[in-house]
Amino acid sequence: MAQNRKRLIDLFIGNISNSVMHKILEKATEDKELAGRYNKELSTSLEIAKKYREKINPVNASLPDKDIEYIKSRITNKVKNELMQRISKGYENIDLDLVEGLVNDALKDTKVV
Amino acid sequence: MELIAKISKGSKMDQVYIPKNRIGFSAGSYVIIRPLEGKKTVEKPYLYNIKSIEPVKLEIAEEIISIIDKITENENIIITGSFLEKGFNFNDIDVMIISEGKADEEYARKSIEDSIKIKTHIILLDDKALIKGLETDPIYQMMLSRCIAKKRFIYKTKNKINYKLLDLHLLKSKSLIDNFGLLNGEEKYYLTRNMVAISLFLQNKKIDKEKVDKEIIRIFDLRDINDIKQNILDKNNFLKNYKNVYKKTFDMVMESINGPKQEKIN
Repeated sequence: MAQNRKRLIDLFIGNISNSVMHKILEKATEDKELAGRYNKELSTSLEIAKKYREKINPVNASLPDKDIEYIKSRITNKVKNELMQRISKGYENIDLDLVEGLVNDALKDTKVV
Repeated sequence: MELIAKISKGSKMDQVYIPKNRIGFSAGSYVIIRPLEGKKTVEKPYLYNIKSIEPVKLEIAEEIISIIDKITENENIIITGSFLEKGFNFNDIDVMIISEGKADEEYARKSIEDSIKIKTHIILLDDKALIKGLETDPIYQMMLSRCIAKKRFIYKTKNKINYKLLDLHLLKSKSLIDNFGLLNGEEKYYLTRNMVAISLFLQNKKIDKEKVDKEIIRIFDLRDINDIKQNILDKNNFLKNYKNVYKKTFDMVMESINGPKQEKIN
């Protein structure tokens, strides 16, 4: 059971990270028109993350502090690593300062905090 | 009972004369008078790369074109997406309205949905944006490779690399790696197609749905494309190949930042 919970949390982290990444990359794109056109598809990862969240107890309340810390730091590290990888290749306009705020928003949105 | 009659000019009031010998329309009964509109000749839309389509879908397409024509000025109307696939397993109808003016997308969507009772996704753009989309976006190329259009169109474009846009699109496909067990066959197909289309685009190839499907079959060694759509995949083999293609495609996107083989924008 505990193993299953950990697996669900990992899947949740993977999808939330993907969703936060998407938002940051979308903001790094100057061409708002093209980026905006795919807006309906951007929520895919967030929707999947919500499905996983619904399977992690407690479903209708915040997760225990220990879980919150773990999830938050894993998402933040994952997103920053991915973004740094891009920045190192010369990707322009990525704003790393956005990470923390967007991670917090996503965790609120999914009732983790 | 219907009668066609002409409005005659009177001295104080105009009137409509109808024959005395008739069935129905008794004197004193109330009737509706409305103009007799000549039935407009509906021009047949152009079909691009569609070998066959169910007649009812063609009727729906004509109806959509006719509704949009009534409510907004446009240069062209393009219907595309899963609606054009064989059968009726589509989620919605993708409709592109090419217009230089400002059309009300929401009103157009509602008018169509009220009439045909099918969920519709409207994309409104001008000619310039459409050309830009075709030059920079593999998904656009794929969408427009198979479509129904109100008017004939020819766009000769050259692939241009917009690494940010490609990275943004490619990221969508990453979710398949984490969520293989959760996604259904159609979702897996969509994410795989997205990734393979980006890969082909980066190799400076023109993209259409058939080419992308063939490439998917080749890469993943499938019997046919329905292996994905019907979700009958060997998970380990498929994921191993998928991760490999994803990484290669991501590397190509990153390489294009500094050393593009093709014209780069952004």
